[in-house]
Amino acid sequence: MYTNFKGNKVYFSTGGLNLVKDNETLCFVHGAGQNHYSFTQQIRYFVSQGYNVIAPDFPGHGFSEGNQTISIEEDMLWLVELLAFLKIEKATFIGHSQGCLTILELAEKKPEFVRGLVFVAGAMSIPVNDFLIDTSIDNPEKAYDLMVTWGQDNYGSFSISDWPGHNHLAEGNAVMKMNDSSVLSKDLKSCNSYNNGKQAASTININCLAVLAKFDMMTPLKKGLQMVEIIKQCDYKILECGHFLPIEKPKELNALIKKYLNTLK
Amino acid sequence: MSEKYRFDTMSLHSGHVPDKETGSRAVPIYQTTSYVFKDTDEAAALYNMEVGGHLYTRISNPTIATLEQRLASLDGGVSCIACSSGMAAMHLVVSAICSSGDHIVASNKMYGANINLLQHTMTRFGIETDFVNPNNLEEIEKSIKPNTKLVFGEVIGNPGLDVMNVPEVAKICKKKNVPLAIDATFNTPYLMKPISHGANIVIHSLTKWIGGHGIAIGGALVNGGNFDWGNKEKFPTISGSHFALNGISFWEEFGPSALTAKIRAEGMYNFGPSLSPNNAFYILQGIETLSLRMKKHIENTKMMLKFLKENESVSWLRHPDLEDHPDHKIAKKILPLGSGSIIVFGIKGGRDAGKAFIENVKLSSHLANVGDAKTLLIHPGSTTHSHLSSEAMKMSGLTDDMIRLSVGLEDIEDIKIDFEKGFKAAAKISSNKC
Ligand SMILES: Cc1ncc(COP(=O)(O)O)c(C=O)c1O
Repeated sequence: MYTNFKGNKVYFSTGGLNLVKDNETLCFVHGAGQNHYSFTQQIRYFVSQGYNVIAPDFPGHGFSEGNQTISIEEDMLWLVELLAFLKIEKATFIGHSQGCLTILELAEKKPEFVRGLVFVAGAMSIPVNDFLIDTSIDNPEKAYDLMVTWGQDNYGSFSISDWPGHNHLAEGNAVMKMNDSSVLSKDLKSCNSYNNGKQAASTININCLAVLAKFDMMTPLKKGLQMVEIIKQCDYKILECGHFLPIEKPKELNALIKKYLNTLK
Repeated sequence: MSEKYRFDTMSLHSGHVPDKETGSRAVPIYQTTSYVFKDTDEAAALYNMEVGGHLYTRISNPTIATLEQRLASLDGGVSCIACSSGMAAMHLVVSAICSSGDHIVASNKMYGANINLLQHTMTRFGIETDFVNPNNLEEIEKSIKPNTKLVFGEVIGNPGLDVMNVPEVAKICKKKNVPLAIDATFNTPYLMKPISHGANIVIHSLTKWIGGHGIAIGGALVNGGNFDWGNKEKFPTISGSHFALNGISFWEEFGPSALTAKIRAEGMYNFGPSLSPNNAFYILQGIETLSLRMKKHIENTKMMLKFLKENESVSWLRHPDLEDHPDHKIAKKILPLGSGSIIVFGIKGGRDAGKAFIENVKLSSHLANVGDAKTLLIHPGSTTHSHLSSEAMKMSGLTDDMIRLSVGLEDIEDIKIDFEKGFKAAAKISSNKC
């Protein structure tokens, strides 16, 4: 769905349906260099489960225009302003990768918006090596390829997919190519410079869920588990896949989120 | 981290890892029509295409999905749909993109059924096609109209062996925001991957070299995921609201894989051109040796070209790897490993000599197929085009002395000996004529 927000055309996926006034809202927050297609197999599933879903494309990503936000703090502010603009008072936030940093920051600074939190392949900090940042500046398409290859386990290597006929390595690249070419480097720098994650995690007072990937090369499992330790009540599950968990293990992720949402009722 | 495997490895492994429950190393044949749902929730999710999975074999099947995923990875596409034949794949693509009132620009040097579908069948449904010389870039660009929704051609045309300058045509299509679909049957992804040259959709007849053994009819379309379908006025059934998704948009929900999502939900669902799981298995077996076979096909083709060039009974010889072929330069650029294993040549003595040649070869089979492991021949003048006069054949780019040879994998010396027998018989006719 398109809207005009802060003078720019902004897209947020709702699974193609209008938001229903009294339904609970789930907000999916994408990661670095991604857009709402990270959550293709979550968005419409949860709409059918009776939720309002919004999965925004951050500025410059996917179908959204406008100047890109260049820090996690800015990402968070853009997101809460968008929610306010859409008259969404409270939501359960599901972040993937960089999206986890955004929702950590949100949990600390704007807790009034938060009903629940799900961290998917996340951590409290995401340091990015210089090589990837430099490549994302000099040769973005090469950086997409590196990320997609690092980001998927065997499923990617062998084009294994529960989704008949899909080749996730190529698809991951195609999704990243939909963004402005300057987007990835800015996102990676935002991740790299964010250092409030531990503090933010320590302030969370609600029951959370972390779904982590055993073979995650982008946000290693170890770092995800450190986050689980710091958050007071954080249930967690480890799935046998790589960083692009929503694509590699969609059914397992959906079932875990669904179970978690039931605990919030 | 995933490994980036190379072509030969992907041809053996993509789309399948040993079965977790049984350990089966080979791809199992899931000979089933349908799949038990875990619960009503899962059933609804599958019906609505909310998550991946199998519902009914007309739409998808695990053995067929392995084939699709293997082809997508070999061609560098984001997604693939395998179906009952190459023609079914072609029809799925055309019907997914075009509606009544739309226009197609297509090569005039294509396989007869591709031409027939566009020239005679689609016109009945209000879809018009302008046929153009596949290498006249100016003509292609000029022929694209505001209602043009597809540009279509073959990398190596059947049977004329014209080579389309895919990278240049792709540039025009990109500029005009029209998807480029390429029939890559004669090259297979081993010789050339159209998506890496800017094409948006690849169509294969799997019946030919990909299956490779003349045992199963099949087809596939591979989606490059590199076309922006976002213009709702131009592509309303992909980016606008669609009945098959309860009124929502394939483009907004599926992005790079919108085209295949639509084809599965509409084409496979409503037309039903599904492949059988058994045929998918046979074709997968073929793919396992695709590169080995293609190497030998090319090697034998080179030797046959030399043999035919030196043979007195041959009046003319056509193959894109020959320097006198009009598209030789393009072929060298986009088909560096070789331009396939079809050779066309003329036989001295015209239609009757051609007939005599065909009737006197023993090892080479006279039949209507190409891309088998075995050497195949056809003489259009006495078969597919026998009802046409010499003049009428010329109009369709053929001559009555023309033989189409699909070079097989036999020992080259045996193929040559077989041909000598045919040539001897043809020469008798030819000398009687003189
Ligand atoms: C170039 C080309 N495309 C498509 C087809 C159609 O394939 P099928 O027979 O699998 O429908 C053929 C068949 O000869 C062909 O040669």
